[in-house]
Amino acid sequence: MNALITISVLAVLVLYLGLYKANKALLPVTLLGLAVALFFTINHWNVFTGPTFNDMMSYDNFAVAFSGITITSTMLILLLSKGYFEKISDHVAEYYSIILFSLAGILVMVSYHNMTMLFIGIEIMSVSLYILAGIRKQDFASNEAALKYFLMGAFSTGFLLFGVALIYGAAHSFDLEAIKMHLETNLQTGQAISPLFYTGVVLMAVGMAFKVGAAPFHFWTPDVYEGSPSLITAFMSTVVKTAGFAAFLRLFATCFYPLHDFWMPVILVITIITLFAGNITALYQNNFKRMLAWSSISHAGYMLFAIVSLGSEASYGVFVYAIAYSAASIIAFAGLVLMQANTGSDSFDSFNGLGRKNPFLAFTLTVAMLSLAGIPLTAGFIGKFIMFSNALSSMHTWLVVLAVINAVISIFYYFRVIVAMYFKDAERAELEIPLNFKVVLAISVVATILIGIWPAFLPNVI
Amino acid sequence: MNLLSVLVFSPLVAGLIVLVLPASLQSRYKYVALAATILQVLLSVLVWVRFNPSLGGVNNEHTLQFAEKLSWIQLNVGGDSRLQIDYFLAIDGLSMPFLLLTSLVMFVAVLSSWEITTNLKGYFALFMLLDTAVMGVFTAMDFFLFYLFYELMLLPIYFLIGMWGGVKREYAAIKFFLYTLFGSVFMLLIMVGLYFSVQDPLTGDHTFNMVHMMNPANYVDGSLFAKFSGQLLLGIPARSLAFIVLFVAFAIKVPIVPLHTWLPDAHVEAPTPVSIVLAGILLKVGGYGVIRICYSIFPEAALGYAWWIGLIGVVSIIYGALNALAQRDLKRLVAYSSVSHMGFVLLGIASVTAEGISGAMMQMISHGFLSVMLFFLVGVIYTRVHDREIANFRGLSQLMPQYTFFIMVAFFASLGLPGFSAFIAEAFSLTGAFKSAGVNGLIPRWMALGGSVGILLSAAYLLWTLQRMFFGQLRLSGGEPWRLLLTDVTIREKIALVPLAAMALLLGILPGVVFTQINTSVLDLVKLVNP
Repeated sequence: MNALITISVLAVLVLYLGLYKANKALLPVTLLGLAVALFFTINHWNVFTGPTFNDMMSYDNFAVAFSGITITSTMLILLLSKGYFEKISDHVAEYYSIILFSLAGILVMVSYHNMTMLFIGIEIMSVSLYILAGIRKQDFASNEAALKYFLMGAFSTGFLLFGVALIYGAAHSFDLEAIKMHLETNLQTGQAISPLFYTGVVLMAVGMAFKVGAAPFHFWTPDVYEGSPSLITAFMSTVVKTAGFAAFLRLFATCFYPLHDFWMPVILVITIITLFAGNITALYQNNFKRMLAWSSISHAGYMLFAIVSLGSEASYGVFVYAIAYSAASIIAFAGLVLMQANTGSDSFDSFNGLGRKNPFLAFTLTVAMLSLAGIPLTAGFIGKFIMFSNALSSMHTWLVVLAVINAVISIFYYFRVIVAMYFKDAERAELEIPLNFKVVLAISVVATILIGIWPAFLPNVI
Repeated sequence: MNLLSVLVFSPLVAGLIVLVLPASLQSRYKYVALAATILQVLLSVLVWVRFNPSLGGVNNEHTLQFAEKLSWIQLNVGGDSRLQIDYFLAIDGLSMPFLLLTSLVMFVAVLSSWEITTNLKGYFALFMLLDTAVMGVFTAMDFFLFYLFYELMLLPIYFLIGMWGGVKREYAAIKFFLYTLFGSVFMLLIMVGLYFSVQDPLTGDHTFNMVHMMNPANYVDGSLFAKFSGQLLLGIPARSLAFIVLFVAFAIKVPIVPLHTWLPDAHVEAPTPVSIVLAGILLKVGGYGVIRICYSIFPEAALGYAWWIGLIGVVSIIYGALNALAQRDLKRLVAYSSVSHMGFVLLGIASVTAEGISGAMMQMISHGFLSVMLFFLVGVIYTRVHDREIANFRGLSQLMPQYTFFIMVAFFASLGLPGFSAFIAEAFSLTGAFKSAGVNGLIPRWMALGGSVGILLSAAYLLWTLQRMFFGQLRLSGGEPWRLLLTDVTIREKIALVPLAAMALLLGILPGVVFTQINTSVLDLVKLVNP
């Protein structure tokens, strides 16, 4: 609650700082403000009494957990951005404040209790992202990314809104609890549920699948991820994706849960297609950034596991997975930004011989790739482990078998980076790694390994 | 701190020391590693001495020795389920001999690492990490912990082959990695399934404790893997499927024909020390896993598939030997001979007789020493002239008499000459296989006969190689430069070779040294599998 206000005020404040040309103060002020927001968020843990603001929002532990992840990831990504936006344009303050506005939308998305708030949250986030994707005005790829993202995003929001409207028609309410009550009473009394409702659920599932980049609604992802500036891509593939899943999970786990038997097969099919589409296409990429984009699609597939097999551990699974995935992705994107800044290329070959020249960066990238591939003793393994055990306990054996095959496929492309860094020699200059990058890399690596070795370090906050 | 924990984590500490030492001391890294392995040998000798052979262990937690059990991961994952994963190390007769084997092999491997010249810091750090992982696999009694150590073995090997290997190292490394990983990810699924089926009788939580998994009474009624629930998984009885999946996962490591193709590639591309570890220890992890996990947790499935396992064993013995006969590269020959010799392990295990399983254990230990010796000897030639085509050498006995002596010891011991460990091991495995038809009717007699043919073939390829490379007129394809390079074995090489030869001889003459230590456990295992 306080966190949301803090971030919104912070965004305006940052704009004013820009107006008064206090460019040096932008990053420290933003980070400080986010730290305060994080403090407010954590402070809110376990004090949930019920929905607030006329039942519009509910700051329960679920919201606290996901706000925590998204704020922390944003802080890490912004820490990487020192000197990054200056190279793109003169209007630096605007970028900070747009990212902050987007984060405000995300905070609404993870804590809504009413479908209108879900819509508003998604819109605040998306509109900011359309601008961020096109932040490099002169760059054709960036323009293409922004336009594509905008068109696709508008479509998906349309689906979502249509779904909301149909559900309102059937259940006469936007409130999650009221919709759930409507379903439960109808199911108990044997009254038929209006066909409008079923259509609405499917449309909302499609809309959410668009937002999290799940196949077959994923086609915008690679182009947008590739065209946007790398740090914005990092933000989109970690923070935005986490928020999308939190919203998705909240909707289906609390509100539509009584209709589980109806929508589960739909999500199941989406999950399987997502896994294969993401992994198999990633195999054929020659460029690190595009590989990360496709791999992020496959990770969406793993996270959908939680929604397929809704159990007591579903939220916890997404929570752990999102942390593991965000930490590893931030490392990967940090490596990408460094590589692009120094060599101007991000093909796998540009990583050749990095193991010898930059042992620390190579080591952190290796840990990140291993974590993304789900190798034990990294956070990624624990995330996959919880997801798989969840799915197995709800007897989705085939799904898990397919997922495991996909996990093996993913080894191929994640290991291409490792192979390039360590097994291939090339004459290259040492990359210069600024201090802020070192800090972010170190934090993320420590988190990845710590969660891998001792998962109890992450308490079950939800 | 428990002795086993020290044994497992002392190499890791050595690895960290190597990492923090400055690069100016890089010529000293190997001594750090050497010290760690010597310490490990001493510790495992201590374990050997203090081990009480009258306690069986296997499926009885109270008779496991040197046990250390700490609660490690206790996650409250919502609802009433709690993730209970213990840090549980313990040994019994089935794992104890492997500790000494591992530490000796690691010692030899470090000695042979003198040839490594590039990026020493990374090399020794990875090597020590590998050491920790292997020790962990042999001592872990919690399935989750076992799995972690099992997977942890993969990465160091992958990097060791990929960074210090031969020309096609990238291919060999990823092939090795994917083969093993493919087996083990499915093992993960079975492990999770077992977890949901088994309850700790004391706390009532689900548990990964292997000892609890071996007791049918601990299975939740009607759960997936409960013995009499008759659940089907993908159309096959769940317990049978689980057994097959686990068996395949470990059999890839053993390796069995037709899942062995990673082995020759990995060996040929790997530097000598890595070959030594691969052949000496990692193959044994496969055999150990079959005994410890497949047979102990799914005994009735094991009995049901005994015929097939015996068949796989015989096919591996003969196919491996025939392949060895056809090789032109000395290292490939030794690699295929490993496939052949590990076949005896499966044959012995499949018989589920005390003789057969003792023979299988003995074969693993004996092959551990002998294959290490063979790979070390191949490495001796290779480091000198960077070539190991059999046809390129002739009459080496005149040039390197001491080397030829060691080669003859290793070859004759490997082909099963009485007086050496392999003879005892193969004789016991075959006795078990013969006896099985009369006692429990699990495997037919012709399989034992097939195994004996394998011994004959191994004599053929080893003696033929001896003849081609070491006897006759001295003729080297590299001419005079090679003649100067091919010096006889050095002191350091002798330090590595003598203990191996001595162990092979000792175990051949006094096999009781091992048999008395493992006997109670083997009998308990036979009783568990075939009551």
